Amino acid sequence: MRFLKITCLSLLIMGFFGCDNGPTDPQNMDSFDRKAMLANWADNIIIPAYSDFATKTESLKNAGTAFNEETSQENLDLLRNAFKDAYRSWQKVSMFAIGKAEEETVREYFNIFPVDVEDLKENISSTSYNLSLPSEFDQQGFPALDYLLFGLGENNDDFIQAFTDPSLGENRRNYLLDLVNRIDELTDMVLTDWQSGFRDEFVNNSANSATASVDRLVNDYIFYYEKHLRAGKVGIPAGVFSGSPEAGLVEALYAEDFNRELLLIALDAVQDFFNGKHYDGSQDAVGLDDYLDELETTKNEENLSKLINDQFDAARTAIEGLNMNLNQQVVDDNISMLSAYDQLQLNVVLLKVDMLQALNINVDFVDADGD
Amino acid sequence: MRSISLISAVILVFALFSCDNGSVSPIDEPDTYDFQRNGSSSVSFTGQTTRIQMAEELAASLKDFDNASTELLLEMFRNETESGDDADPYSSADLNASDKSIKSKVAASQDYYSSNTAESAVIKADFESWINAQVNEVFPAQNVEATAGTAGQIADGSSARYINAKGLEYDQMVIKGLIGALMTDQALNNYLGTAVLDEGNNREDNDNGVLVEGKNYTNMEHKWDEAYGYLYGTSVDPADPNATIGGDDSFLNKYIGRAEGDEDFAGIAAEIYNAFKLGRAAIVAGDYTLRDEQAEIIKEKVSEIIGIRAVYYLQQAKFILDQSNPDYGAAFHDLSEGYGFIYSLMFTRKPNTDAPYFTKSEVDALIAKLLGDGENGLWDVTPTTLDELSSEIADAFKFTVEQAGS
Repeated sequence: MRFLKITCLSLLIMGFFGCDNGPTDPQNMDSFDRKAMLANWADNIIIPAYSDFATKTESLKNAGTAFNEETSQENLDLLRNAFKDAYRSWQKVSMFAIGKAEEETVREYFNIFPVDVEDLKENISSTSYNLSLPSEFDQQGFPALDYLLFGLGENNDDFIQAFTDPSLGENRRNYLLDLVNRIDELTDMVLTDWQSGFRDEFVNNSANSATASVDRLVNDYIFYYEKHLRAGKVGIPAGVFSGSPEAGLVEALYAEDFNRELLLIALDAVQDFFNGKHYDGSQDAVGLDDYLDELETTKNEENLSKLINDQFDAARTAIEGLNMNLNQQVVDDNISMLSAYDQLQLNVVLLKVDMLQALNINVDFVDADGD
Repeated sequence: MRSISLISAVILVFALFSCDNGSVSPIDEPDTYDFQRNGSSSVSFTGQTTRIQMAEELAASLKDFDNASTELLLEMFRNETESGDDADPYSSADLNASDKSIKSKVAASQDYYSSNTAESAVIKADFESWINAQVNEVFPAQNVEATAGTAGQIADGSSARYINAKGLEYDQMVIKGLIGALMTDQALNNYLGTAVLDEGNNREDNDNGVLVEGKNYTNMEHKWDEAYGYLYGTSVDPADPNATIGGDDSFLNKYIGRAEGDEDFAGIAAEIYNAFKLGRAAIVAGDYTLRDEQAEIIKEKVSEIIGIRAVYYLQQAKFILDQSNPDYGAAFHDLSEGYGFIYSLMFTRKPNTDAPYFTKSEVDALIAKLLGDGENGLWDVTPTTLDELSSEIADAFKFTVEQAGS
């Protein structure tokens, strides 16, 4: 519905321009250097982010291997830290579902939560599972590791016990190893693709059409922000869509004091991308904010880029006021969780309606009707 | 968009006036579907509620890989064993105790099938073949990755769908097919037809207040109620069903709710409900002209629901397939639902005629076209084909592809 409206509107707008400008191609109305923006995205944000993530997934793999070989408390601690580092780093690449990441549906394999604990246990006891099947999405990736490393028991002894248990200990260790190996393998695949040709393909596809890189990545970006960050991390556990809050649906349910941190990292990453900020933080280079400024896009007589940045800041302030355990926040005071959601939602409107209209980009995803 | 709403508004205004001019009736439309005689309700549709519930259990079991078998699923469809003995396939004891079944009312309306039992048998066999194929083709491929020409599972966003070699989900074909073959056919072509409403002495009995033995309703009242029950039989408050429309079943009720939620069709739920109420009041008052006018409104609007949803799913899938990296699982899911709604078109009813919007052979042609772009069915279907099918369907109704497609 929304998409069609926007399409109609865009068609209408394009229609007007088409008439006025005569022979001028309405696709190239503005003189903004999209290619420079794409190059900045690829070279200074996406590839560095994936390189960093790949380093973390390799450490995770190594820590998993060490723990498999020697199941000690020390190795468990190292593994847990490696898991947290990789999960943090994942928050900065999750939005880039383009190229191999899209083809291989990496986000589905890495971060569908809540983990299906019952099916995961069945995989462990049967040892017959094929992690590449869609039906296994919610039994692998970070949510499954979160459960195995933080949810299996109460205290440290329980974990060592679980992984050394004579009947299922070896199965658990092997399953864990399969999970960390798979994360590393898929990540390498995505990074290698960017480094071996996809980067140029991406940057050179710099027109303004439904299949062009800017249109596609901006769509992926907004989809991620709307469905995964706003809804997945906040709205769904807060019960925005179902009407009843469910604390158990938060990201990283088992590792304590961790999910608010992940949410804040994700929010920073989304805002930094909007501003074209280098991954290493060294420079604020060309991004969507500059594109909007070049087009002199305003709303209610304010710069749209400023409104969007202000709104990101407002959402951050709201989230910083929440419990470090968002699940606890939902239980204790869900109204504050809903308020944080509302702050995130306000930017969906600015990004998806106002920004896309200004940039002449059509939304390429629809809301599934849920059946 | 604005111009469309303007046009709709104009059409609506015309429609309102033409309704008003038709018959100036002294009969008031009741507030709710609550009709009383001698201090108790004269409304009854328990058989319809039962069949909707049976269909719900069948729908759920079609994807129960661990427990379902062809034997169990077909018993749910027939409510009897293969040899015709009593069966207890449902989880609900009440359903097991019932002597009703889904199958006996599939393609079984008086108007369409009383002298067309051959076609009725073909349609019933379609449903049984889909149920069999679900177990025989899809169940064994539960843990296989589906590819063109191979059954298995495929990702639709973060969930898994289970499809046959041509990309179709049999469970969706059964569920959406029943909306036409069971609910719509029974309501529009059986209970709202004069052949059933006026059967035997129904008019005379209704005029004279002769009740069915042991019941609190006349035969004609009951027939009308039975049509009503196929739309609202599992509503939270069946007398005031639009309060929860769309949330009360997985069949016709659900999709009235979906059409109502599309701003291009908002109001359709009230039109259907109001026509049911006024028609029932007309029966009580013995005004059969008014009754039949309401029946025609219901036939047109319920048929429209099916047409709208068929086009909706074709367009949703087209939109997905137009992407540079299409989510095939999501598109196939839409098209499997669309398949069921297209199939259901043969049970629609053009108002004031004896015909559906699409005959069985026309539906067969639409489906052949949907699956005919290559040897692997949905894996090969092109956006152009989906647009052509959409236009063909929308052209038969009073809505546009754009209105239904969003």
